Amino acid sequence: MSILVRDPGLETTVQDTGRFGHYAIGFPPSGALDSFAYHVGNALVGNAPGAAGLEAVYLGPTLEFTTDTVIAVTGADIPATLDGEAIPLWESVAVRAGQTLAFGQLTGGARPYVAIAGGIDVPTVYGSRSTYTLVGMGGFGGRGLAEGDELVPGEDAVAPRAGRRLADDDVPTYPEIAELRLLVGLHSYRLTPDSLERFTDTAWKVTPDANRVGYRYRGAELEFVPREQPFGAGSDPANVTDCGYPVGSVQVPGGVEPIVLLQDAVTGGGYATLGTVVSVDRDRLAQTKTGDRTRFVSVDLDEALTIRRDRAAQLDRIRTALS
Amino acid sequence: MAHTITAKTPGVFYRKPSPDAEPYVADGATVAEGDVIGLIEVMKTFREVKADAAGTVATWHVADEDEVSIGQELVELDT
Amino acid sequence: MAVETGEAGIRYDHGGDEFVYAEVSTAMSLPAHFTALAITRRLAQEAIAGVEEICPSNASYMVRVDPDRIHPRDLVRELRRIESEVGDAASADPSFTIATRIVDVPIMLNDPWTHEVLMKFRDRHQDPEGTDLDYGARINGYDTTEAFIDALAGSPYLVTMMGFVPGLPWCFQLVPRERQVEVPKYVRPRTETPERAFGFGGAFAVIYPVKGAGGYQLFGSAPAPIFDAAQEQPDFAENDSVVFFRHGDVINFRRVDEAGYDEVREQVAAKRWRYRTAPVEFSPSRFLADPDGTNAAMLEALYS
Repeated sequence: MSILVRDPGLETTVQDTGRFGHYAIGFPPSGALDSFAYHVGNALVGNAPGAAGLEAVYLGPTLEFTTDTVIAVTGADIPATLDGEAIPLWESVAVRAGQTLAFGQLTGGARPYVAIAGGIDVPTVYGSRSTYTLVGMGGFGGRGLAEGDELVPGEDAVAPRAGRRLADDDVPTYPEIAELRLLVGLHSYRLTPDSLERFTDTAWKVTPDANRVGYRYRGAELEFVPREQPFGAGSDPANVTDCGYPVGSVQVPGGVEPIVLLQDAVTGGGYATLGTVVSVDRDRLAQTKTGDRTRFVSVDLDEALTIRRDRAAQLDRIRTALS
Repeated sequence: MAHTITAKTPGVFYRKPSPDAEPYVADGATVAEGDVIGLIEVMKTFREVKADAAGTVATWHVADEDEVSIGQELVELDT
Repeated sequence: MAVETGEAGIRYDHGGDEFVYAEVSTAMSLPAHFTALAITRRLAQEAIAGVEEICPSNASYMVRVDPDRIHPRDLVRELRRIESEVGDAASADPSFTIATRIVDVPIMLNDPWTHEVLMKFRDRHQDPEGTDLDYGARINGYDTTEAFIDALAGSPYLVTMMGFVPGLPWCFQLVPRERQVEVPKYVRPRTETPERAFGFGGAFAVIYPVKGAGGYQLFGSAPAPIFDAAQEQPDFAENDSVVFFRHGDVINFRRVDEAGYDEVREQVAAKRWRYRTAPVEFSPSRFLADPDGTNAAMLEALYS
């Protein structure tokens, strides 16, 4: 009973909801970058929430199933086929032993997710099956999948069934310019008011340096307020005394290329952060790709919490509808 | 007949394996299916771009070190 | 613009919907750290619902909050209450102590491995003509690099923050402000740092647990692992942990030469390396009153 990796794609990793409780010793959470696509995938195939699935980027993997199962492809807009026959996205599909799942050229978004009935059986490391490639821990051997790997389905199936389909209204669309809502703050006072305005006025372009660690953008230059640097920070105006970085926080080393830190990022350091992308919008960010445009929209804490509650209610409704 | 090779991932396109090296394929050169015609750098990894048809290199639609998007036309072959 | 000294009180802010950031001071100082330490210890004891993770750092701390269980603004109110209750007790009250340990950490300064790497990246450094150690010595007013090395290894450090990557300790030297070393980070970060490199940036010494990018000045190399994914060394296996250091550890960097370095590497290869440690009851107020005396007593406990 296994799933054979015929072609791993660009970087396909095993991910779950993430590894929590170890941030203070330097473990970022890892886990699926687009948590909506990941959670809906599990709901579609009838898995318990938190079952491990596959996250790919730009190129989907080619997988051969040696056992009958149920799968669902969610996330990016990408043609998916079983033995060459197109299968729908955002819908659970029966797979017979011997069939091969393959992907065509992505047309929207960036990251396809593959949920498999039962999840994927890899050891839990520090409480999670998520892959953290930087130190080679978690997931499948601490690394992205490689040709010839054999994945074993897990035991997180609750009610596997083909033919469950996400309502059209709930299927996300990926606009030309992604809008990421963020709370300005933390060390935003280090930037000139002009620069802070420029940050939210600019349609930033995603650079090729965009992965699970973080996304780097180009599009404008930002300036720091001149000051005598405090003891311990170091002499660069972009530096502060080293501190913790929230997941989703935005830093601007050198003032030229803002970086949004993601689920595999460093947990702390000495760059001034100007704000934090709200947690729900990391899903949107995960579906942007190199060359795409992104705009940052300032929200306050109450709006951020409303966005979070709305998303939780939507997922509850989807899970109920699909169960 | 013409055939166009497109980018499968976004990233930075390179015609040469390293800055000082000769291009993988010269203008007017003949390539076989599966020959490497360039590299795309994305997420700090380099991925080979291979010809998905045989032919001679006719027109480049991108320059060395251009940023490319998924599906962007890279080079046209006379087949 | 005047530098804040930390007397002005803690600044609270929200890092999105999931984090609360509390800055004791923009500048690093032991009293600022001790305040963050005392508040985070109290916060951990109180076990407030919705407080998911507590991350003490150098002159600040961060809390990961579950906003479905506690409104982040209510959490800030709780943190303010603890701030007012704890106050500067950590630095002023002799009864406030931290049960911790002092750890002997062998280190080879001016080693060949980091030297090779730092020479590759001179174009990213403030002083392309010299070495990182020569530069650090000069800007900190030392006549010779040797005198600078003596100062770096001359007094123990406190682990004031963990993170960046798993297991990396930020170490702040336990000496009065006028004896503290400060260096800038590289002009542009290196793309390469050897595993176990001993670096310095701002006012902090670090050991890099794994190889990777980095922007700290490279001064030396530690022969013993501080991160052990397979938990092969007994210190890691017995604690069922992939990291060795903990926030609040006191570290004594003990200089070794190449022979001493190789000796440790042999023990690591045989999977029987153990750090020498001793328990200590660290009193911030006693330390601030008598830094050198407190350090001498801790070193006595470690090496006697």
